[in-house]
Amino acid sequence: MVMMNGNEAVARGAFEAGVKVAAGFPGTPSTEVMDYTHQRYPDIYCEWSTNEKVGLEVAIGASFAGYRSLAIMKTVGLHVAADALGGAAGSQINGGLVIVVGDDVGRIAGDDYNDVRHYGNMFNIPVLEPSDSQDAKDLMVKAFEISEEYTTPVILKITSVICKTTSRVIIDEEYTYEAKCRVKYPVSFSKVIMTTMMMNAKGSEHPKLVKCFNDFPAHMKRLADDCNDFDINKLELNGKKIGVITAGTPYFYTKEVLPDASILKLGLVMPLPEKLIRELAEHVDELYVIEDGHDILEKNIKDLGVSVIGKELFPKFPEMTRFTPDIIEEKLVPDAPKRAIMEGIPFRLPVSCAGCSHLFITQILKKHKIKAAADVTCGLIGCFPHTEAYSLQKCMGSSIALSHGYNVATDHRENFVAMIGDGGFWATGINGLMNLIFNDSQSTVIIVDNSCLAMTGGQHIASSEFGFNYKPENKLEIAKVCEAIGVKDIVTVDAYEIETLENAILNAVNAKTNSVVIVKKPCITKFKLPKSDPYHIDQDLCTQCRKCVNIGCLAIESKKGKDGKVEIFINEDLCVGCGLCSTACKFDAIML
Amino acid sequence: MQDTGKNIIIAGVGGQGILLFSNLLSKFYMKLGYELKISDVIGLGQRGGGVESHFRYSNKPVLSPFIKAGDADYVISFEQTETLRYLHCLKEDGVILSSTFELSTSSVNTRLEKDMPESKTELIRKSGKKTFIVDPDENKNPDFDISKMMNIVMLGFYSEYRGYNHDEMIQIVKENVPEKFVEGNIKAYEKGWAIARAELVAKESEVSNC
Repeated sequence: MVMMNGNEAVARGAFEAGVKVAAGFPGTPSTEVMDYTHQRYPDIYCEWSTNEKVGLEVAIGASFAGYRSLAIMKTVGLHVAADALGGAAGSQINGGLVIVVGDDVGRIAGDDYNDVRHYGNMFNIPVLEPSDSQDAKDLMVKAFEISEEYTTPVILKITSVICKTTSRVIIDEEYTYEAKCRVKYPVSFSKVIMTTMMMNAKGSEHPKLVKCFNDFPAHMKRLADDCNDFDINKLELNGKKIGVITAGTPYFYTKEVLPDASILKLGLVMPLPEKLIRELAEHVDELYVIEDGHDILEKNIKDLGVSVIGKELFPKFPEMTRFTPDIIEEKLVPDAPKRAIMEGIPFRLPVSCAGCSHLFITQILKKHKIKAAADVTCGLIGCFPHTEAYSLQKCMGSSIALSHGYNVATDHRENFVAMIGDGGFWATGINGLMNLIFNDSQSTVIIVDNSCLAMTGGQHIASSEFGFNYKPENKLEIAKVCEAIGVKDIVTVDAYEIETLENAILNAVNAKTNSVVIVKKPCITKFKLPKSDPYHIDQDLCTQCRKCVNIGCLAIESKKGKDGKVEIFINEDLCVGCGLCSTACKFDAIML
Repeated sequence: MQDTGKNIIIAGVGGQGILLFSNLLSKFYMKLGYELKISDVIGLGQRGGGVESHFRYSNKPVLSPFIKAGDADYVISFEQTETLRYLHCLKEDGVILSSTFELSTSSVNTRLEKDMPESKTELIRKSGKKTFIVDPDENKNPDFDISKMMNIVMLGFYSEYRGYNHDEMIQIVKENVPEKFVEGNIKAYEKGWAIARAELVAKESEVSNC
């Protein structure tokens, strides 16, 4: 028996399932599934791919070769990979193919409100959802069995709560790894080819036609029947008053708050075990659905003609970001005491690490009132109102195309700049760059080269000097790639050389051509760069204009001292001595 | 086994070693044979964002990974704004162990919202719960960097308060922190233990004087 969080347990499950290949892209909360798989199970080939779509395609190819394969991403990443998933859905599967997807319920890490189970409905593929670490490991193994038995890709939905909750797991200490391999089908084609065959060659027994045909609706029908007997769907018949259909961690919230309730705990949330649902419905007076995320179980159960109470009692986002035991108690336990958080406690907006190269860029953009689009990852912190450096920001890799669109619409009257991190650049931003070149655009792109994917904890990318499969000769240089794509004007500047950086950005913005400014500085948190002496603020010279505070640096604070007077000061423990704030102060109050 | 289990909320901001604290505690309770569930909630703020850990140990299987408001036996917090966020989670006889350290919030720094007018330390004291406050500035020590090791100071305090075997807890610290930090961490642990000893003696004499 060992203690594992959900991410560790999923990795262990992959190992015990005999997975051969794991590919994917970092994304909170499920990044560590890959990290643990790579650290602990060297038999499994691991790669961080350039983006989620590439990662899933790698896994699909490995699965066709017969080996059990795993793709890892967050739900927002699956949006990128959705085309690949649609291609695999309904096609012939040799080695089991499982996509582990992290749903960031509760917006703990500030994600949009997504629910991966929509893909289950759309593509008609099974979705499993664990309730704790033991479940995560067990369902991982089950997911591969289902994938092979019913010839389908399978999604394992994990949430931010599962990923970051540690509990006991029973593992087979004696287990010896063996890569499982099964080649059943000589071809595997998307539904485009299969449905064409189905329509034109119904009833044909010609082997060339039969080979192409996969009766995927029949497989899913069989799974829907069989799953009534799966032990991962547990019907616990207790009291006759309240019945609850639930999955994931809400199962445990329900058990704790409603110990007498009859519960159907779904391990497989799609397709549904219709017989078990009807049995529970007949047993109880009131039937509730308690599910994190969207009202997907609820709608699917109602489609079976079973009436349940769900979001009418538990309104979804924005009223609720995720279930908690408190929410269930408030609605279903009469006379439960009400407890509310103290009012007026200030909230914490995300702030960049002290010394982050992003801060140097946002300072220059603001100083010269340069309009710009931000990307995601650490750079998006510059969009929040305490920094307020960007006016447009959407998704990973988007900023280059966003600024290009703005510039063509405004006939290039102003240069709307794109800022993008190196991770976003390699993921999909590079497509935006190619696009603006061959469409003869004149945008400026600032690429922040910090040698890793900083926001998710410093995973490697194509231009990193480390990585699971790293070899120096395979490292991609951002400047060389930009040159090869056809960018006319490329400069590379150290972030801390602020005057050079300022000139480089101004020159690029004013040039009547496309341009890239590469801002180099390794991520200060990932690479633990040595600190210089901290700066401090002379309180006699400080006018409290707050120019330094608006840099958005974590080390610059404003609070009451023990004498009750508000002071702006630099936190010596956090300051790295980069000196950016001293260049921003108009009163020379910030010094070494 | 007299103690059937407790619910502990451990809170603070990123970089304060909250996860190490809960990891060390989990090793201790595992050795005692308890069931455990520990759920970490880590915000977006990189360094400086709020972090909370829901730590539950019990002699029965633990169900919910989150501690329901009103069910917490302890709030152990390394940052006093964060302490305030969890006061309503405590049981009537719950105990607060809070640092006076404060990392001002970005929204107050940039005047997007006003800070609370009252002293946060006083708000904690006025909660009506059994309260212990540790001021890192008053406990600065040349033997270790208290700004980095407040988590271990609090661990020493908590162990003394609970009457645990210090040798066992120190052994767990030794086994789970990097070699070069072991010495400083042991000093930090002993400091926390000493502060608790003094506080408890003071509280007892308060009671006996009544």
